[in-house]
Amino acid sequence: MPTDVIMPALGMAQESGKILRWLKSEGDAVEQGAPIMEIETDKVTVEIEAPASGTLAGLRVPEGADVPVGGVVAVILAPGEKTPPETPAGVEPMVTAQVPPPVQRTSGRGRAGRRPLASPKARRLAAERGVDVAALAGSGPHGAVLATDVESTGRGRDGSTAGVPRTPPRLGAIWQRMAERTTQSWQTAPHFYLSREVDAGRLEAWRASTRKRAGYERVTHTDLLVKLVAAALSEHPHVNAQWHEGGIVAAEEVNVGIAVAVDDGLVVPVVHAADRLELREVTARREELVEAARTGTLRPQDVGGGTFTISNLGMYGVDAFSAVLNGPQAAILAVGRIAERVVAIDGHPEVRSMSIFTVSFDHRVVDGARGARFLGTLADLVEEPAGLVP
Amino acid sequence: MSSPSAVAAQPGTRELTLSQAVNEALAEEMRRDASVFIVGEDVAEAGTPFKVLSGLVEEFGPERVIDSPISEAGISGIGLGAAMTGMRPVVDIMFGDFMTLVMDQLVNQAAKIHYMSGGRLKAPLTIRTTLGATRRSAAQHSQSLHALVAHVPGVKVVLPATPYDAKGLFKAAIREDNPVVVFEDKMMFAVKGPVPEEEYVLPLGVADVKREGEDVTLVATSSMVYVALDAAEQLAADGVSVEIVDPRTLVPLDRETIVASARKTGRAIVIDEGHRSYGVGAELAALIAEDAFYDLDAPVRRMCAMDVPIPFSPVLEDLTVPTADTVAAEARRLVGKE
Repeated sequence: MPTDVIMPALGMAQESGKILRWLKSEGDAVEQGAPIMEIETDKVTVEIEAPASGTLAGLRVPEGADVPVGGVVAVILAPGEKTPPETPAGVEPMVTAQVPPPVQRTSGRGRAGRRPLASPKARRLAAERGVDVAALAGSGPHGAVLATDVESTGRGRDGSTAGVPRTPPRLGAIWQRMAERTTQSWQTAPHFYLSREVDAGRLEAWRASTRKRAGYERVTHTDLLVKLVAAALSEHPHVNAQWHEGGIVAAEEVNVGIAVAVDDGLVVPVVHAADRLELREVTARREELVEAARTGTLRPQDVGGGTFTISNLGMYGVDAFSAVLNGPQAAILAVGRIAERVVAIDGHPEVRSMSIFTVSFDHRVVDGARGARFLGTLADLVEEPAGLVP
Repeated sequence: MSSPSAVAAQPGTRELTLSQAVNEALAEEMRRDASVFIVGEDVAEAGTPFKVLSGLVEEFGPERVIDSPISEAGISGIGLGAAMTGMRPVVDIMFGDFMTLVMDQLVNQAAKIHYMSGGRLKAPLTIRTTLGATRRSAAQHSQSLHALVAHVPGVKVVLPATPYDAKGLFKAAIREDNPVVVFEDKMMFAVKGPVPEEEYVLPLGVADVKREGEDVTLVATSSMVYVALDAAEQLAADGVSVEIVDPRTLVPLDRETIVASARKTGRAIVIDEGHRSYGVGAELAALIAEDAFYDLDAPVRRMCAMDVPIPFSPVLEDLTVPTADTVAAEARRLVGKE
């Protein structure tokens, strides 16, 4: 019996996955465990391994097509086996709104990897000008890119005057997901914001001293913040919670997400059980996650289950900002830069390293007083991280 | 049919009908060369049913304007024999439909003799015949069979569209040393256009740009040139700039002019009154697709006679051939201005 290659479910709520790229072609020999395709879910991009050894056959889903979870996308034939006539059991790629040319019904002839529609002239002009026709919106029949579409990108033969295509190129899954989730959060969760200027001097000193110790050389402000936030959340379980079906549900773990900007949007890998990890474990985990985010190799478990999110724009010189909640989480911390400021201490002006923390809350879960107490705890921990110093 | 704007009346020209232009070409060549004679059905006193040859028998006598029995195979055989033995006959085949009867003499003999004799024999034979539908002449008198002839190496094929072209090309055809078939659209004989007083000959194998434009090329043969010109007027009103190329001769074919126009506009419609399948339209479209491929912004379109016998019913007959309206509609589709 040929072994079916199916679109796996990588997340609880995942309904479909997109075949980003076939890593093997029809007729290729594959080894069990070797990557055969790259798929993209609403959260991550993952390589999927061959479920058996043999010959890959019956590739029926073109790159870029969405396939329902559980759908058979190919089969692996043992030696001597032939592709069954009706195999694999029909998977119709789901046509998504963002894909301009509808995915052709895949018959046995396989239209996998069909290149974008473009006239010969448009293709030649695009090649001459270094423009990717796939990135252009076509004005021709069936969305075909015509010469005028290439010319209207505004890039002359000398490559000068970068222009903008008349309609934006198709967005990546990460950006689309970000757009959907921030819209949903903004439209459903009543946001409110509490800000507090905190003295980050101790935080800086703490980092400096910790870094001198073996195993802690790469500790960052973010790692310290993860640790402090986790400690604060442990004391305020009503903040480590979410609104669910008309009620407040407290999370069982303290899982702190870190917002990471990548090329095509924003991802939030999660440090699970952050309250129970040692600082150096937080550092190690954070390094793994950020690296995976930057290389696009985050796994579903790396981005799922977050109960709180930290977003730090200090490195961009931002003094303070208010973040959109990362639903269904009830709170997100927005961290501004640490800057030397003159503050009054006991009636005297002094220069201190200050930072403005702003926490956004979902008012269905946290009210002003509870939010303020959480922020107070966090500020106290930042200014006096006693007991958390390893 | 309107006259093409490309050739404007100038000093030293007159307005002639296409019929008069052909007549003048024949008369001039017969005066010039005593070996030129005409043979065909009803060519003498009748001057053909279309009156194209009226007056020639009076000037040149029945020895050089010869009425023949109704036998196209026989007439063409006589013509070929005369051609091979030193004469320059013009064989008149009243309806192009009956080229089928000429085919053995033309395809197996006339087209081959120069080649098979190692160049020692020549066959300076000119056949003039007709093409074109919409004359309500039914299926056996309405065909445009020029593709059948153009298919055979060794035969030159001329399709004049204007009086000027008809006269100049006809004279060239008579002076050719091997067989030439001139197809005149029977609906064009009354078309008027400027023709110089002075004698002139047009070379075979040179296309004529009947109208210059930027957005789409219409390659049109014979009377389809007028269809194209009318369509171009409609399209100009819509802001679509049309270039019209008339190949004028199918063999030899001016590939460069056709391809250059298609490369310039990036879009081409080929309009020919022969049947669509395996025809002149297909040949010209293939030429453009091959040589202008990387400059094409749209598929090359063919507009030809439907692949059906031409109906006698006027309503149905008019549906079988390209019209200015259908060509303009196709051009609008091609440039995305439906």
